[in-house]
Amino acid sequence: MTGTLSQLESSIETIINIFHQYSIRLQHPDTLNKKEFKQLVIKELPNFLKKEKKDDQAISDIMEDLDTDVDGELNFQEFSVLVGKLTEASHEEMHKTAPHKGGHSHGPGFGGGCAGPSPSKDDQSHGHGGHGHSHGNHGHSH
Amino acid sequence: MLTDLECAMNSLIEVYHKYSLLKGNYHAIYQDDLKKLLETECPKFLEKKDVDTWLKELDINEDGALNFQEFLSLVIKVGLAAHEDIHKE
Repeated sequence: MTGTLSQLESSIETIINIFHQYSIRLQHPDTLNKKEFKQLVIKELPNFLKKEKKDDQAISDIMEDLDTDVDGELNFQEFSVLVGKLTEASHEEMHKTAPHKGGHSHGPGFGGGCAGPSPSKDDQSHGHGGHGHSHGNHGHSH
Repeated sequence: MLTDLECAMNSLIEVYHKYSLLKGNYHAIYQDDLKKLLETECPKFLEKKDVDTWLKELDINEDGALNFQEFLSLVIKVGLAAHEDIHKE
């Protein structure tokens, strides 16, 4: 890919690159087998997947759940479903930990902030890291 | 400290709110907000389908706007297309 990527595109590119970092290791280069998936979960998702979910049985269960074509491997499409679920869980966690005040606000979510600048190239953006923040004050709470 | 993968996922939440907070309900992307999102974040996605077609396709609960879950199905579509592109190059 060339040219300037939008925030959406650069986030997606990060996700694809990390998927490939693991998928390429063993056997089929574009799918994760159980070993690769386990390595990815342990190294890349330490905050988003809780410790108790990292024993072999739990990893197998998650994999079985995601492996919709039942070939024993996760392709990128199947992996995307996990990305979607975890992103949703992270968003929910930000709302659970949000300070109660007017407007839309997020709390810190799943531990810690991001290293380095966020992939955003947009000055208006703000990290959902180790601090809560709120958006706007115009009415409408939910 | 979050990993790059975790930060990328949180960045998707930021992208959603860039457009969902523009007006009205904080977790709703309306038709004109979706237009801005598609134009800014993934202009290629407007080449084959227009905003109204996208909204109709993504708005599962038919309330006329995209909630976060509905937005995520767009993200997955963009992701799968990007993944295919990478293997074409």
